[in-house]
Amino acid sequence: MSVEAFPPAPDVAGTPLDGTKIFTIKAEENAALCASTGVAPAGDGSAHPIYYYIATQVAMGKTVAGLCETCEFDVEDGPMMGSSGIKFSEPLMVGESYKVTGEILSLVRKQSRKLGVMDVLTYRLRLHKLADETCILETDNVWVLPRKELAA
Amino acid sequence: MSYLVGDTLPPFVIDSVSAEAMKQWAVFLADPNPIHLDVDVVKAKGLGDRVINQGPINVAYMMNMLMAAFPGATIESMDSRFLDNVYGGDKAVASGSITAIDVNRISCSFTLDVEGRGTVNSGTATILI
Repeated sequence: MSVEAFPPAPDVAGTPLDGTKIFTIKAEENAALCASTGVAPAGDGSAHPIYYYIATQVAMGKTVAGLCETCEFDVEDGPMMGSSGIKFSEPLMVGESYKVTGEILSLVRKQSRKLGVMDVLTYRLRLHKLADETCILETDNVWVLPRKELAA
Repeated sequence: MSYLVGDTLPPFVIDSVSAEAMKQWAVFLADPNPIHLDVDVVKAKGLGDRVINQGPINVAYMMNMLMAAFPGATIESMDSRFLDNVYGGDKAVASGSITAIDVNRISCSFTLDVEGRGTVNSGTATILI
């Protein structure tokens, strides 16, 4: 059965993901995070760059479950990371506070031999310094949402 | 330090992916998905018999490899693709090579490989030196 035989994915492109939370990278958490991946914290005050993902996920305007719900997908059905892209303008710094803006770019229904019918969610988040609103990074994440209820 | 296109980057090795680290990352990510915390849930979902590493930890391993290969440099951009799960107890190796050099920008490709199962993540990055 081709993907055209199924109803289209929910029209969620453009949904804002601007956050209201402030995310501050704490020195002790950065140290614990670095240790958990097998490295020491940087000596120059920069945070581990993986905080691009953590800060944007934690401080975006929806929880993971909420983002799935927007896509009419139950988080219990197991969203999967497809890809993650990041462009930094500045390094993330320990002690700095940030806020998030962003939006859903697309939700596209596809059919895969391995997963069956699935929706591919692409969303973009930007991290801004709280102090002067400078945007220091932009990340595009792609999640795969398997649509078990549409399985043949 | 000088770099050449084709140079391989020193691997970053995780001898045993830590289930304890997954518990820490559930807090860091504010995402208590039980597939990272409870092996019984993993089994019930038919996803294996060990807890599954959070995807961003795998990206962090690859970032560690890049940062160690280019001391003092910064990652300008990076794209990672998630091809398969990494499980608690896996031995994982991040490795890469230089694909292009443009003045102070070095382009790299990289993978994260798990012993016995091959490549589970792959991607590209640009490093500012």
